[in-house]
This record gives sequence, C-alpha cells and structure tokens, in this order.
Amino acid sequence: MKRGEFWIAYVLLLVAQLLLSNYFHVTPYIFLTILPVMVLCIPIRVGTVGAMLIAALTGLTVDYLSEGVLGLNALALVPVAFARNGIIGLVFGRELFARKEDFSVERCGFGKVAMALFLSTLLFLVIYIWADGAGTRPLWFNGLRLAASLGASFVVSLLTLGVLAPDPRK
Amino acid sequence: MRGRGILSKLANLVIFILLEIACLHLVTNSAALQRTWIARGSHAFMGTVWGASESVRNYFSLSAENKKLVEENYALQQQLAKAQQRLRQARIDTTKTDSHPGYTLTPAEVVKISRNKQHNYLILNRGFEDGIQEKSGIVTPKGVVGIIDAVSEHHAFALSLQNHDISISARIGDEGGSGILVWDGIHSNIALLKEIPLQYHYQPGDTVFTSGHSLLFPPDIPLGVAGESRVINGATNEITVTLFQDFSSVRYVTVVHNDSFDEIEAF
Repeated sequence: MKRGEFWIAYVLLLVAQLLLSNYFHVTPYIFLTILPVMVLCIPIRVGTVGAMLIAALTGLTVDYLSEGVLGLNALALVPVAFARNGIIGLVFGRELFARKEDFSVERCGFGKVAMALFLSTLLFLVIYIWADGAGTRPLWFNGLRLAASLGASFVVSLLTLGVLAPDPRK
Repeated sequence: MRGRGILSKLANLVIFILLEIACLHLVTNSAALQRTWIARGSHAFMGTVWGASESVRNYFSLSAENKKLVEENYALQQQLAKAQQRLRQARIDTTKTDSHPGYTLTPAEVVKISRNKQHNYLILNRGFEDGIQEKSGIVTPKGVVGIIDAVSEHHAFALSLQNHDISISARIGDEGGSGILVWDGIHSNIALLKEIPLQYHYQPGDTVFTSGHSLLFPPDIPLGVAGESRVINGATNEITVTLFQDFSSVRYVTVVHNDSFDEIEAF
C-alpha cells in the first residue's frame, strides 16, 4: 500500500468513526470504535512519537466533531500509540522493525493480527470506559460494557483491516 | 546504540506523559463529572503520598520524640514531687501556732477510744504522712488526753491518760510544786498528783497545770482542780485532782510535738 493511499484510507476511516460516534447509539452497553485499529496500522516507519501525535490529533478530532467529553478519545488513544510497538513486537516479533515492514493478515497470519487488534482495542476500551464512567458506574456495568464493546469493536475493526493493511502481494 | 535506544524510549515516555496530561486537562475542563472524579482521585493520591511521607518522617523522628517525652515526664515528676512537698509543708504550717512556741500542733480526730479498762488507749486518724510522730502529746482545750505510742501511715495509736502505764509532769497553781499526775484507776475523771513536797502549800480548788518539765507537753495546760490530799511516807503529798477532761465525749484533739524532742533526748 502506498503512503498516500494509507492516509486517504485513514481519513476516510476517521470519517467513518465520526459517523459511528454520532449515529450508532444502539445501546449504552456498546461503544463502537475503530480508532485502535487505525493507530495500530500506522506505518512502523512513523515511530512512536509520530504515532502518539497522530493518535492525539485523531482522538481530538473525533472528540470535537462528535458527542461526548472533549479529550476522552485522545486520552484513551494515546496509550494505544505508546504501546503499539510493544504490542507489535510481542505478537509479530522484532523482525518487522528490523525490516521496517508493516504487518498484514497474509504476511503474519490472521491469528496474530487478531491478537494485536484485540490487545490494542482492549487497552483503548479499558481506559475509555473507566474515564467515561468517572467512578459513578458500578463495576458490573463497566465490565459488561467493556465485554460488549470489545466484541463489537473487534468485529468492526477486523473489517477495516482490509482497508488499512491490505495484502502486499495484490 | 543502546544509549540512543534508552534516550529514545525516555523521550517517548516524556511525550506520552505530556500528551496524557494535556488530554486530562481537556477532559477536566469539558465535563464536571470527570473534573470531580479526577480531583477526587488526585486528592486521594496526594493524601496517600503525603500520608506515606508523613509516616516515614514520623518513624525517623521517633527517637527524638521519645527523648522529648522522657524529658517531659521527668520534668512533670519533679513538679509533682515539689507540689507534694509543698502540700505536706502547708499542712504542717497551718497547724503551727504561737500558743505553744517550740511545739508543732496537728489537729486530729479520735476514731476509736477505750474507757473501761486499766490500760485504755485511743486511735487517731492521723499518721506519719500527716507529720505525726511517736512520743507526742495529745491535748484538748480541757486538758491532756494521752501520749502517742505508735504511728502508722495514716493513723496513730496512743495511750490514754486513763492508763496506768503513763504519767505526766504537772504543777499545782501558778507557782506551786511539781509532781507526777497519774490516773487513779477507778474513776474516769479523777487523777492523783503525786510527789508534791510537803513545803508547798496549796488550797483545794487550785488549778493543776502541765509543768513543762516533760518533753511531751507544753507548760500551763490546765488539767483539773486540786481536791483532798494525803501525806505519803511522811515526805510528800498526794493530791486528788478532778480532771477537766471528759473522756466519754472526747472527739477532736490536738497532737503536740516538741520540735526539740530528739535534740534533748540525745542528752
């Protein structure tokens, strides 16, 4: 995937996230997000600092243009960018950094990609739901919301993988 | 290379913290609920940190604190001892009068008295804690009651004048001869003034006083009035004395102690 194509896809997915945030309020137990997968798929060559700045900017954009607490998405997304290299190294190994290659389902396998996606989404949702509740909601509610949101967001994020991390052989 | 890697990770961490602080700032400024929550969390955190630091500081200052407490305790004990000393002195001083210079007077109450034996006694409610000493006299405004024989912490045991074992030095009239006054052993208010030389004349009805020759009683305490007399062995008079003191009603007494008793006894 060429560099320009990725960022166009990134912006389009950002718009998609805005639509999800503004119009898909099915139940208070489910919070749909594709922001973690977007940050996870930022090219490795961008580096951690760049990824964190992009994550902060992305989160703030969503916060500004959607309903909710300003800064909440950015607060939860920056840690994903900070932990991104760690998650990639843990799941895919350090060779990707040595070769400066981005991951894809075809190259790394669905299981590993799904695991990386799961961990980044989990990290994002834990922080987001914890801060959104602000200590006013019971643990069972937060736990249920985390499980439901993680399941739904994980499925939606898997669908976006084809856009952000396509098969390099195609 | 390794140094650059560490620096890079450190820079990542610093930027991450800065971004998170900025995000938290935005969150607290945009939502009251989150602001309260974060403020509560930060207060709890600061409380824990301050509490822990205070505990550590207190732990390391325990030695100095203990030393300070020991010094305070010592100072308080000193003050207590001085106060007790002053209290004891005040009790003694308040009983001192000029009526019998050279004697210490201590008021006391009779808690037990016997009157129907040949060796009668009484017990007073004052002991050595109150300054009472052995070999002190017991008097009332009506005369002599007895002599302290033994002293405990808060009580004193005394031999009553109605006891064959004690005798006191007495004088008949203002200028009369001195003799020994003892209980007659029969009547509760009659005593015998013995060993009065024949050359001393008296009249029945003269007052008998303590002579002051004894170390136990100050002089000139009225004891009773002289009555009949008889000559003993052709050498001395034995005079019957009707005592002023009514032993059946004695309750409040005064203990008198010669301040120079020990010094004179040493001779």
